[in-house]
Amino acid sequence: MRDLKMMTYGEAIREALDDALAQFPDMLLIGEGVPDPKTIFGTTQGLREKYGAERVLDMPLAENGMTGICIGAALAGMRPVLVHQRIDFALLSVDQLVNNAAKWHYMFDGQQKVPLVIRVIIGRGWGQGPQHSQSLQAMFAQVPGLKVVMPTTAGDAYHFMLAAIADNNPVLFIEHRWLHHIIGEVDKQAPAAGLDGAAVMREGRDVTLAAFSHMSIEALKAATTLAEHGIDAEVLDMRCVSALDIESVAASLAKTGGKLLIADCAPEMASSGHQLLSKLVLAHGDSLKQAPRLIVYPNHPVPTSHYVANHYYPGAEQIASAVLEMLGRSELTASVIGALQSDLPKDQPDRSFVGPF
Amino acid sequence: MTVMSPASADLKHLYYQMLRIRRAEEAIARRYAEQQMRCPTHLCIGEEAIAVGVSAHLTVQDKVFSNHRGHGHYLAKGGDLPRLLAELYGFAEGCCGGRGGSMHLTDLEAGFVASTPIVGGTVPLAAGYAWAEKIKQKAVEGHRNVVVIFFGDGCFEEGVMHETLNFAVLKQLPLLFICENNQYSVMTALAERQPKRDIYPIAAAHGLTAVNGDGNRVDEVYELARVAVANARNGLGPQFLELHTHRWPEHCGPNEDDDLGYRSPGELAEWKLRCPLLQTRQMLLAKQLSNDTELAQMETQLAEEIEQAFEWALQGTRPTIDSMGQHLYA
Repeated sequence: MRDLKMMTYGEAIREALDDALAQFPDMLLIGEGVPDPKTIFGTTQGLREKYGAERVLDMPLAENGMTGICIGAALAGMRPVLVHQRIDFALLSVDQLVNNAAKWHYMFDGQQKVPLVIRVIIGRGWGQGPQHSQSLQAMFAQVPGLKVVMPTTAGDAYHFMLAAIADNNPVLFIEHRWLHHIIGEVDKQAPAAGLDGAAVMREGRDVTLAAFSHMSIEALKAATTLAEHGIDAEVLDMRCVSALDIESVAASLAKTGGKLLIADCAPEMASSGHQLLSKLVLAHGDSLKQAPRLIVYPNHPVPTSHYVANHYYPGAEQIASAVLEMLGRSELTASVIGALQSDLPKDQPDRSFVGPF
Repeated sequence: MTVMSPASADLKHLYYQMLRIRRAEEAIARRYAEQQMRCPTHLCIGEEAIAVGVSAHLTVQDKVFSNHRGHGHYLAKGGDLPRLLAELYGFAEGCCGGRGGSMHLTDLEAGFVASTPIVGGTVPLAAGYAWAEKIKQKAVEGHRNVVVIFFGDGCFEEGVMHETLNFAVLKQLPLLFICENNQYSVMTALAERQPKRDIYPIAAAHGLTAVNGDGNRVDEVYELARVAVANARNGLGPQFLELHTHRWPEHCGPNEDDDLGYRSPGELAEWKLRCPLLQTRQMLLAKQLSNDTELAQMETQLAEEIEQAFEWALQGTRPTIDSMGQHLYA
């Protein structure tokens, strides 16, 4: 039986944490701000009251030490979920994540395990600036032993969070701040998710858009407007960064005539798109019939000033323009871009989002 | 402080445990030249009293975490000697199946969780383990398992050390911080790395009980650890011991390295006069707790045990090439 509810991505995270705390008595939820009045943008709201201060708690500003402490607790049988409000803060914990969490099961020959979830949020807009808006997913996905996921929809956020907590390995769970307010369907009765596989967000036959996290939303926006102009784009959400689902991309390309556009919320040199392309070419060298396109951020940090930062981030307009170029339909560009343009300030995802965030 | 001697049977037992580590390390050093133990190996000769004096108070349920110089901690906690040696040889029968070598040891049955070689790496893990133990055992009145982390003076310079001390005190964890101050980080003297002051008051400033003592006197280590372990068990929170000692061999490898000149002239010779085994042996004889015949019997018994352990280890099997990729994920 389906138990379909509409909720925001942020609410889905909260629901998943709530249900996991109920399901796993050994789960701990810890992070800077977890029980504070703002409760990590509302995603941990009410959980301390429901499950107690011993299981839902704040922490000292010691990201590396606390990561190690959570690894130690995991070795002793707990299931800690450690939250960083920005992925940038997780850089302080790279020693523990890379040297210990990712390798522990391997280096002790399978005798010990580290069931640990690190929740991190990519910031954007309202002047987040160089140290509150980095996209480090590809870097973390280069570490054998670490699972890295970036769910895009509310449904995936719910099921991936539960799957990550149930998993006996360290999982880096990356949320984009601009996904938190987006409403989607959550079916709690749906079968448990694995932490692998791409999701088909929209079926199409003219071009394959393989996108990551918030860029999947932008790709979907582009595809919706392109459809109004008779162009049928398939959108794949590459939600599992450390286990890129090349097979789904190749299957899509077989339908769309080998035309691929990748959209990633990361600077070009830090994009998982490169790995996706490389793996695709190595495994399915004949799947591409045309030079692929990569829509990514520039290779420099994002500045704080919204006057310039607004020009840093590509989105649906750039994706749609590139698709039209690939299909030789540039005559439609003005009309498509016109339809996609909005008077919403570009450092704000939605009118409901009011700074600071 | 007044040092109470351990009971006579205990002192003999402590001596035997130290001798076992010393002879095992010496045997490893001798065989290392055969170039078959192909992994970085950090011997603890000269530092045996700390591992033994602390572990004498631990049960199998208590847990120990250690570092790159971990053979003594592993053996003192009851870690399996043949499996340690097989690990050094890279065999599948090793305690990590050959995955870790000397710097990664584990024996979960003995309560020795892990040693790893990133300095400071296991410090927060020990605290996390103690945190979990405290959460799980809150219903158990008056007695709880303790966790011990062994680290060196160099580790005290790591940020993660202080992050962990802060959390351990905040949560009043049943955790023992054992600082083996041997004055050298590889070949760099303490004076080049830290200002002229003791380590333990810095730990005490975090808000825990911290004391220091002679790490080459096993009776002193035993007594300091007895109090610290009891305090941690009884819910008085984390405890910190700074114990002064000295490593005799080179930092990594089987040889002496006094010719390199990084130690002060005569420093090593002076520490050798303060050998933890020598001092304990003199005590045992002076107090007539043992005699030359019994001490000789100990040597014979240990020589046999170590020889048999090597024989077993050397019959180990190579890990299969196919196994190399296993256990990346649980």
